[in-house]
Amino acid sequence: MTQRVYLFGYGRHGRQIASGLHESGFSLHILETDEERIARAKEDGYIKVDRVDVTSDEQLEELGIGVDDLIVCVMDDEHLNVFLTLSLRQLLPEAKIYAISDSIHTTEKLEMAGASKVIDLYFVSATRIHNFLHKPVTTHLLSGILGDKHDISFREFLIPPGSFLHGRNTDEIDFGRFNLLFLGLIDVELGNELIFVTEGFNHKLDSGDTLVFMGKDDDLDRFEEIIKRKTI
Amino acid sequence: MRDKPIPWIVRLALWQKRSPRYQGIKGFFRNILTNPDYPYKKYFDLFMISLILSSVWILVYEVKNPLPHWVDVYDLYVVTMIFVVEYLLRMWVYSDLYEMVLQQYDESLILGEPINRPKVLKKFIRSKINYILSPTAIIDLFAILPGYRPLRVLRIFVLFRLFKLLRYTKSINEFVQVLVEKRFELLTLLFLLVFIVMTAGIAIYVFETHVNENINSLFDALYWALVTISTVGYGDISPVTTEGRVVSGIIIVSGIAMISFVTSVIVSAFSIKLEELKENRYIQDLNKEEQFLVLCGYGQLTKMFLRQKEDDVEYLIIDKDPDRVAAASKDGYKAIQEDASRYEVLNRFNTEYAKVTLITLLNDDIENIYITLNAKSVDPQIKVIARVSDRRMTSKYRLAGADHILLPDEVASRMLLMAIEQPTIHEAIIQLITGRSKAKLDEVIVHSHDHYCCKSIAEVDFKAYKLLFVGLYRPETKEFLFNPAKEMQIREGDVLLVIGYHVSIEQFKKDLKVTT
Repeated sequence: MTQRVYLFGYGRHGRQIASGLHESGFSLHILETDEERIARAKEDGYIKVDRVDVTSDEQLEELGIGVDDLIVCVMDDEHLNVFLTLSLRQLLPEAKIYAISDSIHTTEKLEMAGASKVIDLYFVSATRIHNFLHKPVTTHLLSGILGDKHDISFREFLIPPGSFLHGRNTDEIDFGRFNLLFLGLIDVELGNELIFVTEGFNHKLDSGDTLVFMGKDDDLDRFEEIIKRKTI
Repeated sequence: MRDKPIPWIVRLALWQKRSPRYQGIKGFFRNILTNPDYPYKKYFDLFMISLILSSVWILVYEVKNPLPHWVDVYDLYVVTMIFVVEYLLRMWVYSDLYEMVLQQYDESLILGEPINRPKVLKKFIRSKINYILSPTAIIDLFAILPGYRPLRVLRIFVLFRLFKLLRYTKSINEFVQVLVEKRFELLTLLFLLVFIVMTAGIAIYVFETHVNENINSLFDALYWALVTISTVGYGDISPVTTEGRVVSGIIIVSGIAMISFVTSVIVSAFSIKLEELKENRYIQDLNKEEQFLVLCGYGQLTKMFLRQKEDDVEYLIIDKDPDRVAAASKDGYKAIQEDASRYEVLNRFNTEYAKVTLITLLNDDIENIYITLNAKSVDPQIKVIARVSDRRMTSKYRLAGADHILLPDEVASRMLLMAIEQPTIHEAIIQLITGRSKAKLDEVIVHSHDHYCCKSIAEVDFKAYKLLFVGLYRPETKEFLFNPAKEMQIREGDVLLVIGYHVSIEQFKKDLKVTT
């Protein structure tokens, strides 16, 4: 089952996010207040585009957003966006709500309104400038990862049952032969955080663990197949 | 024409122009006397200031005490002689004879006529007379005069030596400049003052000459008017008739008005000038740094950038809008009100020796592109980081020469996408870049004298440092080698990308410096 995403706002950010999510195979439902933007979204080829009055709780309720669905609030109107976040949080206390904030003050308001993740436009941009200044190579590399020009990227792999990795220690395996860099792993038993390899652990791998690698896309694709095998 | 002998004056000029020694000596004196940016000028200035002060002190001391002989000798020969030499040197460096001669000679060659010697000499002498008649030179000359002992009256000219101080201190110059800038207002007021003093003085002269025993001449009357209008009012002369008192009433009122007017003119001129002085000071301080940032526009992004700034690289905010400059100053940041799209503004920065990075973060793409072009035209070495609002403008920024381009909307959108699609990796990347918790991605530049320079990657024991070696960036070829082969040699200038604890990276950097 594909993950469903409710995208509120098809303006400055919405459009780009929509195309990104669509490419990654999410099932999108775009919601807007503005007729013109709705028309544009339809022009861009999205099927599930609806007009909704975000100030009306009834209309929001009618959408039938599920607990596992993701919500993205990126309306161009900041005030509306905060209000929407608050309404949705009230309606769905458990849902994951993502939002973009256009100003320092709004960030705080969005967080108070109950957004699970707020991207502060100015914060991330300012960080980017600092990185330009201090870590030019890294920035170049990461902008490739974050941007369209995928050359080297990060990817996470779930160890499938019956993989050759099951039961092996991380130290035993030389991932270099796959031309990949082993960054770390997420052990479900230890919580959801990424443990970096530089922390110096030697971990016994189980199926169900998630490994994070850095590498060229081709190599990552190849490894995706290899990981399923019983032996190398 | 070539066969003709070259006139002696031209030969002399050519020798002067070509002799490195002559040019060197003249250049040195020109610098030390007139170039405010010359580093040794301030020592010369200090020396001259102490001479002047000692000379004035002698003048004051002499009034009540007999002078020892050596002091007289010092004052007469040492101080005066140095002033004379300085005066002559200044006259010498004021203009160059050889340039005039050669210019004339070139003209004469074109016209096919012999060089017009009297004309050159006339021009030369005129330029020197120009110097002699300049106000500063006149003060210099007066400062020399007290050295002439037979005329004791000239002793008072020692005070001109105080005026000479103006030459050596910058701030007094600024003061004079303020007065010069306001000369129109001040002259108007002076004219008004003269008018009132004349009228009132004549009136009191007419009314009181025979009644008031203190007023015996028109000079007395005018003196009284001036003392009264200035609100000083000594009281040595005071009106005794009713008419005289009415006149004094009128000039007292106009005197108060005029004094407050003069004060306000000067104060307002100074407050503007002080702002300018502060701005100049910022730029002067900045130009002493090895590297600095110029931030164009004080908006939310700039604010955020400064809030995140952890290093101590110097910076300066430039904004056209006085309100924003005021806001920046209020927030405690260094800001000046200037237009960064003007050539002269950016040209004031010392781009020759310092690494200058210009960050233009305005909302307006057209303005940003203009500033980018301006910076690149001032000096292509200036690194430019530009904010783009409209995505379609990106190629224009590249064309203008921006080194880094930032699309805030896009950065935010990508971050959000990443947070949805790959939440763990999103967190991991943020962690890696900010290096707040366990692991940090950092760049290590290899210098020629470093330990690992010219060794192969296999020889570097990253594992011992608990570091993960990601790859290597080679600036010459501008390529990034991800996870390169172990046999690869590390060269000077390479940038190593490593992931690890902050302490591990610092240790690694430190060990790199230690030569074996």
